[in-house]
Amino acid sequence: MQFVQNFPFITIILSLFSGPLCSILGGKKAKRINQAVICIVMVMSCAVLAFVMQSGTSYVYMMGHFPAPWGNEIRVGVLEAFMAVFFCIIMLLCMMGGVYEREQKLEDTKQNLYYVLVNLLLSSLLALIYTNDLFTAYVFVEINTISACGLIMIKQNGRTLEAATRYMIMSLLGSGLLLLGICFIYDLTGHLLMSNIQEQVRILAQTGMYHMPLLVSVGLICVGLAIKSALFPFHSWLPDAYGYSTVSSAAILSSLVSKGYVFLLVKIFFRVIGFDIVCDSKIMNILFVFGIAGMIMGSVSAIQENNIRRMIAYSSVAQIGYIYMGFGLGNTAGVIASLYHILSHAATKALLFVAASGITDASDNHTDFFKLTGAGYRNKLAGIAFTAGSLSMIGIPMFCGFISKLLFAQAGMDNTYKMLPTLIALAISTILNAVYFMKTVIRIYTPVSRKEIQKNGYQNISIKEQPVKSVALILFIILNLILGLCSEPIVAALQSGLGMFA
Amino acid sequence: MNAVMMVVVVLLPIIFGAPIPLLPFKNRKQMAFYVESVTLVTSVLVWALLLAQPEEAFVLFHFTGNLSVSFRLDGLGTVFAGIVSALWPLATLYSFEYMKHENHETYFFMFYVVTYGVTLGIALAEDIVAMYFFYEMLSLVTLPLIMHTLTREAILASRTYLYYSLGGAAFAFIGMVAILTFGTTSVFVPGGVIDLAKVGDKQNFLLLIYVLCFCGFSVKAAMFPFSAWLPKAGVAPTPVTALLHAVAVVKAGAFTVIRVTYYSFGTELLRGTWAQTIVLGLTIFTIVYGCSRALKETHLKRRLAWSTVSNLSYILFGAALMTPLGLVGGLSHMVFHAVMKICAFFCAGAVIYKTGRNYIYELNGFGRKMPKIFLIFTISGLALMGVPGLCGFVSKWNLAKAAIESENPLAYIGIAFLMVSAILTAIYMMTISIRAFFPGKEFDYSTISDVEDPNWMMILPLVIFVIAMFAFGLHSEPVMTALESIAATMN
Amino acid sequence: MNSWILIPVFLPVISGIFLLMAAFRKHPENVQISAGERHRLHLIVGTVLLISAVLAVAAVWTGEKSLTLFYLMEEIPIYFHIDGISRIFVTFTSIVWVCAGSYGFIYIQHEGKETGFFGFFLLVYGVVIALDFSGNLVTLYFFYELMTLTSAPMVLHHGSKGAMIGTLKYLFYSLCGAYMGLFGIFFLYRYCDTLTFTSGGTLNLTAAQDHRTILLIAVFVMLVGFGAKAGMFPLHSWLPAAHPVAPSPISAVFSGILVKGGVLATIRTVYYIVGPDFIRGTWVQTAWIILTLLTIFMGSMMAYREPVLKRRLAYSTVSQVSYILFGLALLNPTGMTGALLHTVFHALIKATLFLSAGVFILEGDKSRVDELTGIGKRMPKTLWCYTFASLALIGIPPASGFISKWYLAQGALQGVQQAKFGVFRWLGPIVLLISALLTAGYLLPVTMKGFLPGKDPRYQQGTPGDEEPPGFMLVPMAILAALTFIFGIFPNPLTKYIVQLVSGLM
Repeated sequence: MQFVQNFPFITIILSLFSGPLCSILGGKKAKRINQAVICIVMVMSCAVLAFVMQSGTSYVYMMGHFPAPWGNEIRVGVLEAFMAVFFCIIMLLCMMGGVYEREQKLEDTKQNLYYVLVNLLLSSLLALIYTNDLFTAYVFVEINTISACGLIMIKQNGRTLEAATRYMIMSLLGSGLLLLGICFIYDLTGHLLMSNIQEQVRILAQTGMYHMPLLVSVGLICVGLAIKSALFPFHSWLPDAYGYSTVSSAAILSSLVSKGYVFLLVKIFFRVIGFDIVCDSKIMNILFVFGIAGMIMGSVSAIQENNIRRMIAYSSVAQIGYIYMGFGLGNTAGVIASLYHILSHAATKALLFVAASGITDASDNHTDFFKLTGAGYRNKLAGIAFTAGSLSMIGIPMFCGFISKLLFAQAGMDNTYKMLPTLIALAISTILNAVYFMKTVIRIYTPVSRKEIQKNGYQNISIKEQPVKSVALILFIILNLILGLCSEPIVAALQSGLGMFA
Repeated sequence: MNAVMMVVVVLLPIIFGAPIPLLPFKNRKQMAFYVESVTLVTSVLVWALLLAQPEEAFVLFHFTGNLSVSFRLDGLGTVFAGIVSALWPLATLYSFEYMKHENHETYFFMFYVVTYGVTLGIALAEDIVAMYFFYEMLSLVTLPLIMHTLTREAILASRTYLYYSLGGAAFAFIGMVAILTFGTTSVFVPGGVIDLAKVGDKQNFLLLIYVLCFCGFSVKAAMFPFSAWLPKAGVAPTPVTALLHAVAVVKAGAFTVIRVTYYSFGTELLRGTWAQTIVLGLTIFTIVYGCSRALKETHLKRRLAWSTVSNLSYILFGAALMTPLGLVGGLSHMVFHAVMKICAFFCAGAVIYKTGRNYIYELNGFGRKMPKIFLIFTISGLALMGVPGLCGFVSKWNLAKAAIESENPLAYIGIAFLMVSAILTAIYMMTISIRAFFPGKEFDYSTISDVEDPNWMMILPLVIFVIAMFAFGLHSEPVMTALESIAATMN
Repeated sequence: MNSWILIPVFLPVISGIFLLMAAFRKHPENVQISAGERHRLHLIVGTVLLISAVLAVAAVWTGEKSLTLFYLMEEIPIYFHIDGISRIFVTFTSIVWVCAGSYGFIYIQHEGKETGFFGFFLLVYGVVIALDFSGNLVTLYFFYELMTLTSAPMVLHHGSKGAMIGTLKYLFYSLCGAYMGLFGIFFLYRYCDTLTFTSGGTLNLTAAQDHRTILLIAVFVMLVGFGAKAGMFPLHSWLPAAHPVAPSPISAVFSGILVKGGVLATIRTVYYIVGPDFIRGTWVQTAWIILTLLTIFMGSMMAYREPVLKRRLAYSTVSQVSYILFGLALLNPTGMTGALLHTVFHALIKATLFLSAGVFILEGDKSRVDELTGIGKRMPKTLWCYTFASLALIGIPPASGFISKWYLAQGALQGVQQAKFGVFRWLGPIVLLISALLTAGYLLPVTMKGFLPGKDPRYQQGTPGDEEPPGFMLVPMAILAALTFIFGIFPNPLTKYIVQLVSGLM
C-alpha cells in the first residue's frame, strides 16, 4: 500500500476538520484557510487520479481495522478521483467569483461561518464520491443538506430564509425517502457495504425473490435523490434557492451539490444494484420521461422568467433533465453522456452565475431583465463570459455543451424506441435554450442612452477593478473551451472509470 | 503545401479581420484599404486554391476521437467558394461607400471580414462535423451585422434571425448525429455514406431524421415555414443584406442541404420515398409562397428578400429532385442567383443610400434621375424573371430539364410552380421598373430633384454583375460543364 | 452567306436603341421637339424602316435560308430559318408596319415624346421580324418574350393612369402566357428529337408513349399560353384594356401584328413541333375548339355591347383572332388554309380600322361610337376606308374576309372526322355565322350613322378642326383598305400559295 492511497481519506478529514477551525477565526483568515484547503484537496486528488490512472484498477481503502462486511471502507477509481479533482476546481473558481459579493453583502460576523459551511460541504461531497458504504453515504447526504441550507440563508433576508426553509423541507423529504430505500435494501440483503449488497441483489434477481420490495427500494432511492437534485417535477424549491442566495452559493449549489446526489445515484445503479438489473426494471423509462419533461418545462419556465438569476436557475432544472434523460436511455453510453454533462453543466452554470453577478453589478444590482439593457458594454468581461456560457448552454461547437449534446444524441441512437424522443427533445430544448439565453445576450448588448445610465446610476466595471473575479471568469471560459475542444481524453477517462466502477 | 492553403484562406480573414476595431487606423481610407486588401488577398488565395485543386485533406483540430474540423476541396466546395470569393471583394468595395454615413464602421468591417472566413469554412469543410461547426459559427458572426444599426427593429430582427438559425441548427444536429451513427464515415462522399447494415429496420426513422435535417439546414435557406427571418433581417445595412442574405448565408443553407442530401444521406436511399415527397412539396410551395409575399410587400428591400426566399427554393427544389441533373440545376441557380440578386440588392442599396427612400411607391420617376441604377435594376429583374439571354433563364431551363427527367409527378407540378413564380417575379420586379421609368404624365420631376446616380465605387460592382449576367446567359457552357462534372461523380 | 438577313433584324433594333438613348437624354419635362429635329427624326425612321422592310421582304422571297446566330446553351442555338410561314408573316408585318409608321409621323406629333415612340417602334419591328425568322422553339420563345417586353412601353406612351393599368395588364397577361408556353417547351425539349421546326412535328413517339398524359397537358398549357397573346379566352382581357389607351398606330400594329405573334407560336408548336397527329382526336383538340368558339362568340358579343370605338375594335380582335385559332384547331388542311388567310386579312383589316379610329380621335376628338354621328360628312375618305375594312371583316363578298371565312367554314364542315367531334361540324359554322352577324352589328352602325346622321341632335355641322387628315395618314389607310379588297377580288395567288404550303405540312 502506497502513501498516496491514503489521500482520499485525508482529504475528507482535512476539509471536515478545517470547518470547525474556520469558525473560531476571523473572516479574512477563514477565507485563506478555505482556499488553502480546497487547493490542497485538489492537489491530493490529482495525485490520486494519477495513481489510479497508472494502476488501471480501483482500490478499496479500509477505514480502521475491521474488514468487510463490518467495517467502513472507501473505494477509489478513476471516476471518483476525477470527480474529486473537478469538483475542487469548480468550487475554487466559484469561491473566487463570489468573493466580492460575500465581502460586501454578508455581515462581518457571518463571514467565517460561510467558510465553515463551504468546508463542510466539500468534505461531504468528497465523502459522497468516495464512500463504499450506503449508510456513510446517507450521513454525508445529510451533512451536505445542512451545509447547503446554511449557504442559502447566509444572506438572512426574507427571501433567502423562505427559500432555505423550502429547500430544507424538500431536501429532508428526499433524504427520508433515501433512508427508507436504504433500510429496505439493508433489510433485503443484510449489508450496507455496496459491493456486498450487489452480490446479494444478484442472487435475488436470479432467483426472482423479493422482486417487488427490491423494485420499491430502488424506486424510493431514485425518487429521494431526484427530489434532492431537483428533477422535474420536484424542482419547486430550486429557483428561489438559487435565485436569491449569494453568487458563490448559487454557483456551488447548482454545479456541485445537486451533482453530488446524481453521482451517488450513478454509484447506486452501478455498484449497489447492478446496472443491468436497474435497466431491466421500468424505472429507467420513468426517469427518461421525467428527464425529457424537465428539459422542456425547465426551459419554458426560464423563458417566462424576468429575473436573470431565476432564469439561470430554471435553466438548471432543464439541465438536470438532460442528465436524467441520459440515465433513462438505459445504456452505458447514456450514463457516460450524463457524467460528461455533470462536468460541462458544472463548468457552464457556475460561469453563468458568476457572469450574471457581474452583469447585475453593472446594473445597480438589479436582476430584473429590463434593467440589464446594455450591461455588456458596462462590464465587458462579464458580458463576454455570459455570452460564452450561453453559447455553451445552447451547444455551439467548441464549447462543452456541444460535446454533451453530441454524446446524448449518440447514446440515444443506440436505443430504437427512445431514439426519436431523445433527438427531438434535444432539438427542442436547444431551441428553447437559444430563446432565453440569446434573448439575454442580445439584451445586454442593446445600448442605452447616456442619460438613462446616469439616471439609473449604472456604473462601468473594468476588468482590473475586481481582479479575482475576472481571473475566475477567464478560467471558467478556458475550462469551458478545454472541455469543448479536448473532450476525447476526458470521455476516455470517464469510460475507463465507469468500467472500474462496478 | 496546397492543403495548408485551405486553412490559410479560412483563418486569414478571421485572424486579420477580428482585430480591426483595435488597429490604429489614421483615417477611413486606411481602414478601407486594409479591409479591401485582406478580402482581396483571401480571394486571390482562394482562386489559386481552386485552380490547384489539392486532393488531400487537412485536419485543423479534433473535437473528440472521430470528430474533427478538417478541410478538403471538392467540386461542390469549389462552386460555393468560387461564388463567395468572387463576390466578396466587390461587395466590400461597395460597402465602403455605403457605410460612410453609418456608425461604428470598424465593428461592421470586423464581422464582415470574419464572416468571409467562416463562409469559406463551410465551403471547404471536409465532413459534416466541420460543416456543422462553421454553420453555427456563421449564425453567430452574422448576428452583429444584422444588429448593426442597434435600433429596436434591428434588435428584434436579429433575435428572430438567431432563434431561427439556432433552431435550424438544432435539427441539423440530429442529422449530423445520424450520419455519425449510421454512416461508414462522416466525410462527404458523392453518393452518400449511409451503411444500410447499421440502419437495419430503422429505415423510416432515418428518413424522418433526414426530413428534420433538411428542414434544419434549410432554415438558413429560408424555406417555408422557416422564412420569416429573412425579410426581417433586411433592416441590416444593404451590403449585409445583399451579400449575406442574398448570397453567403442563404446559399450556405442551400449548400449544406445539398451536402447532406447528395454527399451524406445519399440520393439512392432517399429517391422515391415519402421523405422526398415532403421536402419536394415544401420547396415547391415555398417557390410560390415567397413570390406572393414579395408581391404584397411595399418595402423595397423586403420585397427583394421575399424574392430571395422564392429563389432559394429553386435551388432546394433542384436538390430535392435527388438526381444528378437536379443537382446541376440547383447549383446553376445557386451561381446565377447570386449574381442576379446581389445586383438587385445593390441597386436598392444605392437608392436608399442616395435618397433614403425605402418604399416602392416613393420611387416614381427615379429612372430618369438614376438611369444607370435603374437600368441595371431592370436587367437584374429581367434575369430573375428568366428572360432568355440572361442567366436566370439558363438555370430555370436546367431545373425544368431535371424535373422532367426525374419523371416524378410532383416535380411536374414543381415546373408549373416555377412558371407561376416567374410571372409573379415579373409582376413584382417590373412594376418597380415601370414606376421608375414611366411615372405618368402628371409627374412632377422637381419633387425628386435631389436624386442622382451614385459614384463609381457603387457602380463598378454593378456593371461587373451585369456583364456576368449576360455572359452567363449567352455563354453558359463553361459553367454548366463544370457543374455537370460535379454531378457526374454521383453515379 | 446568309448573314445579311440579320440586317432587317438588327438595323431597326440598333437604331431604335439609339433613338431611345437620345430620347432619354432629354429633360423629362421637355418632351416637345423642334420642327427641324422632327424632320430629321422622320427621315431617319423612314429610311431605317423602309430599308429594313425591303430587306426583310427580300429575304423571305428569295428562298429558304437558315443561319445559326449563337448557342444559348449547348444544343440550343439561337437559329433563324426562313420558310413559307415566315414568308407570309414577314410580308404582311412589313406592309402594316410601314403603313402604321407613316401614319404615326403625323399622329404622334399630337401626343409628344416622338423620339421615344419611334425608338420603340423600330425596336419592336426588329424583334417581330426576328420572331418571324425564328427557326426553333427556343429562338421563338426568346423573341416572343422580347416582343412582349419591348412593346409594353408603347402602350404606356400616353402616361395616364389608364395607360399604366393597360400596360401592366398587357405585360402580365403576355408574360403569363409566355411562361405557360415555356412550361410546355420544357416537356417538348425532353420528348422531341429536336426543337428545330420541322413539318409534321418532331415528337419522338416512342419516348412519349408512356408520358402521353403529361405531354397532352403540356401542349394544352402551351396553347392556352400562346393564346393569351392571341386574345383567346381565358387570357383575353388585356386586349380591351390595352388598346384604347395606346396611340392608334400602336393599336393597329398590336391588333394587326403582335397578336399574330401568338398565332405564329401556336402554328409553330402544333404543326412544326408536336405534330397535328399527336393532338388530333384528343381532349386537347376538343378543349381547344371549345375555347376558340367560346372566344369568337364572346368577343363579338362584348364588341356589340361596347360603346367606345377602340375598345369595340379590341373585342373584335379577340373574336377574330379566335377564328384563326379555330381554323388551326381543326387540324385539317382546309381549316389551316382559312386560318392563314384570315391571319393576313385580319392584319390588314384591323390595322385599317384602328388607324381610322385614330383619325376620329385625333381630328374629331371622338372616342365613343355615339359621338361619331355624322362623321362621314366631314371625313368621308376616312370613313370609306373604315367601311371597306368593316365589310371585309364581316366577310361580304368580294371583300377578303369572305375568302378566309369560306375556308374556315369548309374546314369545319369536312373537319373533324371522329364521332365525338361531330357536334363541331355544325356548331362551328353556326358560331361563325352568328359572329359574322354580330360583326356587322357592331361595325356598320358607325358607317350608317356617320354617313346618314338623320335628325340626330348630336350631329353638329362644321365643328372646327373636323377635317380630313393629311396624306401621310390617309394614304397608308387607303392602301391597307384597298389591299383588303384586292385580296378579296384576286385571292388566287395567295390562296394557291397557302394551300401548297399547307399541303406540305399535312
